[in-house]
Amino acid sequence: MQNESRIDPKIIEEILKFSKNVIDAPKLVAAPDEINLEVTPHEVVQKIDKTRLLHYKPIIETKHKTPLLISYALINRFHILDIHPQKSWVRNLLEQGFEVYMLDWGTPTSMDKYLDFDDYVNGYLDSSVEYIKNQSSTEQISLQGYCTGATIATAYTALHPENVKNYIATAPVIDGWKDTTVISNLAKHMDADKMVETIGNMPPEFMYYCFSVLKPFEQGIEKYVKFFKNIDDKKYVDNFLRVEKWLGDTPPIPGELFKQWIKDIYQENLLIQNKMHVGDELIDLKKIDMPMFTQVAVGDHLVSPECSMPLHYAVGSKDKTLKIYPTGHVGMIASSLSQKKVLPEMGTWLAERS
Amino acid sequence: MQSKSSKNSAESPKEMTEYYKHLSLFWTDIIHLMSSKPQALTSIGPMRSFAANSKKIAVELIEINENLVGFNQYITEYYKQLSNVWGIAQKKVNLKSPKIPQDVEQIEAMKRIWIDIFDNDFTELFDSKKFGENYGNLVSKELELTKHWNNITNVILQSVNLPSKEEIDEVYNEIHSLKKRVSKLELELKKEKRKNAK
Repeated sequence: MQNESRIDPKIIEEILKFSKNVIDAPKLVAAPDEINLEVTPHEVVQKIDKTRLLHYKPIIETKHKTPLLISYALINRFHILDIHPQKSWVRNLLEQGFEVYMLDWGTPTSMDKYLDFDDYVNGYLDSSVEYIKNQSSTEQISLQGYCTGATIATAYTALHPENVKNYIATAPVIDGWKDTTVISNLAKHMDADKMVETIGNMPPEFMYYCFSVLKPFEQGIEKYVKFFKNIDDKKYVDNFLRVEKWLGDTPPIPGELFKQWIKDIYQENLLIQNKMHVGDELIDLKKIDMPMFTQVAVGDHLVSPECSMPLHYAVGSKDKTLKIYPTGHVGMIASSLSQKKVLPEMGTWLAERS
Repeated sequence: MQSKSSKNSAESPKEMTEYYKHLSLFWTDIIHLMSSKPQALTSIGPMRSFAANSKKIAVELIEINENLVGFNQYITEYYKQLSNVWGIAQKKVNLKSPKIPQDVEQIEAMKRIWIDIFDNDFTELFDSKKFGENYGNLVSKELELTKHWNNITNVILQSVNLPSKEEIDEVYNEIHSLKKRVSKLELELKKEKRKNAK
C-alpha cells in the first residue's frame, strides 16, 4: 500500500469548479451575437459601394486643426480599433482632442471580385480624403494605416503626398520577403490566380485557417480554458468575447485585390523595391516625404517587425520616427499597453504636427 | 483504336483514366451522332442537347477522379507532417516532465511545458518550405476539384437557359469598369469644383 498514488484533493476541486463554470457560463455571459462592437458614437458621413466613412463624435473640444483618417486592415473589421470603451483606440484619440474618421471597407460580395488596388487607393481612400478636406476646409489630412490598411495607405501617400500632412504606419505589410510569419509562408506558396479564377473573392474560411495555425495550442485550447476558468471575472469575459467576436468576423477580400496583394507583396515583393503599380501609376516610396511615424510590435506573429520596418528606411521623409513596442499585433492597438504607451506617444507626436 | 482497347489492362492509373475517358467520349459521341439523324423527325426541342450535356458532364467527372488522386496524395502528406511533428513534440514533453503530476501546481507546470513545446514545434513546421509547398499544392488541387464542379454546374445552368458563371463574371466585370469610370469622373468633378471655389 506504500506505492499507492494519492490524488491531491485540490485537483478534484479544480475539475469540479471548472465543470461548474462551463455549466454556468450561458447564465453569466452574453452570447457574442448580443454584443455591440461599435462602442464610440459616430455617424456615417459617406457611403460608396460597400464602404462607409465614419466620423466619430468629439468627446472634448477638438484641439488640433488637421483631421485624422484611419485606414483599417482588409482582414477582420475595423471594430478592433474601438473594441471596448477602456481599450478603444478611437476613443483615446478623441480624448486627446483629435478629429477622427475611419474608413470601413465593408463586406464585399461576389459582385466585387474585380475590385483591385486602384479602386481601394485611388477610389475609396481618395474619395474619403476629398470628403474630409471639403468638410474641414483643410488642404491636408493626417493618415493612419493599420496592417494591410497601412499598405493601402502607403500606396496612397506615395501617389498623393500633397493630401497627407502626417503619415502613421502601424504594423504595415511592406517587405513580403522579409516577413518571417506563418502567413507569409502560406502566401508565398499560393496559386492566387487559380484561387481567384475558381472562387472569385478570397473566402473568409481561408483566413480562419490562417488564424488557426498561429500558436494553435495557446490560441486553440488554452485561451478557451482560461475563459471558462475566469467566467466570474466580468471585465475579462467581456473583453474576451469582444475580441473573439471580432476574430470570427472577417469579410472576403475582393479577388483582384487579393491576387495583386499576394503576388506583388509576398511573392514578388514589388512594393519595397519601388516596382509596384497601382492602376497605371508606379509606387515610389521616396515620394513619401511628409512627417512619418512607424509603429511595430516585437511579438507580432501576423506581420513581423522585419516586414514593417523597411518602410521607415525607404521613405523620403526627413522627419521620421520608428517606435518598437514589446507586444503583439493586436496588443499594439487594443490593450492597456496601447492606452498607456502606444497612443500617448503617437498622440504627442501627431499633436506637435497637426 | 485497336491499340487503345488492347491497353485496357493499363499499366498506370493515368493511362487507365485516359482509357475510360476515351471510352466515354467515344460512346457519347457516337450516340450523339446517331441520335442527331432521326431526331430531326422525333426531337421535340431541349432534350436534343441532352446527349451533348451528358458528354460534358462525363468528361468533368472523369477529370475529377484524376484530381482526386493528386488531392489524396497531398492531403496524406499534410496529415503525415502533422502527425510526425505531434510525435516528436510529445517525446520532448515526456523528456521534460517524466513524472505524473501530483498536484494542481504540477499540472499547471506540465500544461505550460506541453503548450510551449507543441506551439514551437508546430510553428516551426508551418514556417517550413516543405509545409508551405505541400499546403499550396493541396489548396491548388482543391481548387481544381471546385473548378470541375463549377463546370458541371455551368452545363446544368445552360441546359435550363440560365447564364453560366463566365457570363455572370462578364457582367460583373462590365459593371465594375463602368462604376470605376463614373466614380473617377465624379471625383475629378468634385476636385475641380473645389479648385474653382477657392
